[in-house]
Amino acid sequence: MNDEMTSSSLTFSQILSAPVQFPSLLRSQIDHELVGPVLLFVRTSFLSFLVGSLLLLLCSLKLVLPSFLDGVNFLSYGRLFPVAIDLLLYGWAIPGGLALIFWLTGHLSGATLPYKRVLIAATHLWNSALFFGSLALLIGYSTSVPLLEYPTWTSFLLFVAFLLMGLWVIFILKERRSSLFYVSQWYLLTALAVFPWIYGTANMLLTWEKIQGSAQGPIQAWYTGSLIQLWLIALPLAITYYMIPKISGVKIYSYYLVLVGFISLLFFAGWSGLSALLGGPIPAWMSSVGVVSNILLFLPMMAVVLNIYHMFQEIDKTTLHQSPTLRFVAAGMIFYVLGSALSILHAIPFANAILNFTDYTRGLFFLVLLGSFGMTFLGACYYFIPRLTELHWSSSSSIQYHFWLTIIGIVLLISAMTLGGLIEGVAWNDPAISITNIISYAAPFRWLAVLAWGLLLLGFFFFVRLLLLMRWQMIEKRVPNSL
Amino acid sequence: MNRFQSLFIIIASLFFSTWLGIVVYSYLQLGHLKSLSTSDGLFPLQYSGQAILGAQVYAANGCMTCHTQQVRQVDLTRADIERQWGKRPSVPLDYLRDRTAFLGNTRLGPDLSNVGLRLANAQWHYQHLYEPNIITPDSIMPSFRYLFRMQKIQGETSAQAVCLKGPHAPPPGYEVVPTEEARNLVAYLLSLKHDYDPSLPNQAAEK
Repeated sequence: MNDEMTSSSLTFSQILSAPVQFPSLLRSQIDHELVGPVLLFVRTSFLSFLVGSLLLLLCSLKLVLPSFLDGVNFLSYGRLFPVAIDLLLYGWAIPGGLALIFWLTGHLSGATLPYKRVLIAATHLWNSALFFGSLALLIGYSTSVPLLEYPTWTSFLLFVAFLLMGLWVIFILKERRSSLFYVSQWYLLTALAVFPWIYGTANMLLTWEKIQGSAQGPIQAWYTGSLIQLWLIALPLAITYYMIPKISGVKIYSYYLVLVGFISLLFFAGWSGLSALLGGPIPAWMSSVGVVSNILLFLPMMAVVLNIYHMFQEIDKTTLHQSPTLRFVAAGMIFYVLGSALSILHAIPFANAILNFTDYTRGLFFLVLLGSFGMTFLGACYYFIPRLTELHWSSSSSIQYHFWLTIIGIVLLISAMTLGGLIEGVAWNDPAISITNIISYAAPFRWLAVLAWGLLLLGFFFFVRLLLLMRWQMIEKRVPNSL
Repeated sequence: MNRFQSLFIIIASLFFSTWLGIVVYSYLQLGHLKSLSTSDGLFPLQYSGQAILGAQVYAANGCMTCHTQQVRQVDLTRADIERQWGKRPSVPLDYLRDRTAFLGNTRLGPDLSNVGLRLANAQWHYQHLYEPNIITPDSIMPSFRYLFRMQKIQGETSAQAVCLKGPHAPPPGYEVVPTEEARNLVAYLLSLKHDYDPSLPNQAAEK
């Protein structure tokens, strides 16, 4: 227990300013244990992203060409859109996040993975629930609760699978070699503890054993808000606080800022979702609390910005150019700041009256999902996949194409949806403007969104190409062994 | 103390406050509202069996992906009332009878809280669901043709046949009729009306 000894001579904040470095033998042993389950999560997440964004491309096309593939039940917009969003959420963001949680927890606690088989069975359970749940949505078994559309048996299986997977993280933590908790682990543990809590509560009250309709609105909003803040934003922060010190050697600028950021995020996250129902059928105090918490989410954002800004100042510029991970993480953090600013604007009542319910609201969700979570997650993949598999990325130009196409895609999508949403909102607020006119005002921006989804997919194909090349390396490597 | 446990307790207690404030409050307060008993009867109105089945069709086809069911407060915006989506802002009581409150979060089309008041004609809804462009040219609403059936006219045209002219008309000797799902859906849409006054004194409570 080396760390215990140093902790007496150094202050708490000094110890926690960079992740613990375990001996390389132990690290490769951890990777060897983790490679199976983590790659399984990663595979699910990339496949879901591919299918989900193809469906969203189709959906965005249907908004401008409604007659395209029209009149078929499983291809109608109202069925495809929830399938796509749920795939991106429960197929991409949650398994992707779990891959990170497992890999980072293993490496931060210096512990290997016990009894892998049950864990692998749990991931297969998750994947099959996802597959059959998506089919059920297409056939028409949706609950129509936003982000909780899966039929009750699917959500129950997902819940059980998640509990099992979470239990395995606890097993790793039980065997940890360091008693210290690095900041990334705070965020990882938060995400891990909060997801089953909110998913279980929300499903229990909204789909499994439905409560009175009059009480469902605030709980829907609480679920969405918590999921966004404590999974889709908490995990990027965990990645950022891990990757910057690891790759560049720069220590965390201020431990106390991290602490303020963490506690304020945790406190305001759940309440912030309520602003989605501003002016809606909820008690007035709930609307007010929603607005205030959303504005106060400025605090964790500023704490993160100050910390990361100072850290990036110290990073050697050549390191930043050489590491795709750092570039993806930096972009993810810029999208996080942009998302926070846009969501504060969305919560201010007079702006909310215009922006709510338009493409702006959806754009904000995509910004968090693809920008903050997506970019940092992909950055982390560029770091941990080669270490897990002991292979390397074979084309740096593909990485460049992937990075820039994704950035351009996200920026185009968000600008189109934000500006289009603003114009739609102003038009909806003028009763003299007919719906036909509103649709025609929105159409150019929706065409841009189609283009943006196309670019995002094109960028992802370059990433898929890298993965396939890596797989080819793996096959070639095994050939001499088998001979 | 074990740092793992203390971290876990910090996370749990901070997040617990939102759970208590939103989930438990909603469950205990909004979850136990009683219907309003006035001299005109109980409000909100009970759904018919057909309308309850129609709400399932509404859910299955993801209508709430594009349509909200909430009229916003006038101190936020007057637009919802001026667009005649409702005579008054929505209140929690309006959703008392709903198995799922289809509040929605996106308006690609109009709000439907009071569509039964605004558009009370079943034939209008059948035409609109079958081919939205008949009613609103350049509409982006998808066609729900799959909720209808084309059949050969046996003797006289059925009473329920959808009145279709021009390019969408069925071939001669045929008619388009709504399936049971479409009839349930329209029954549900027609029963979406919240025009009672929620500020009336509750007579049941006074007794």
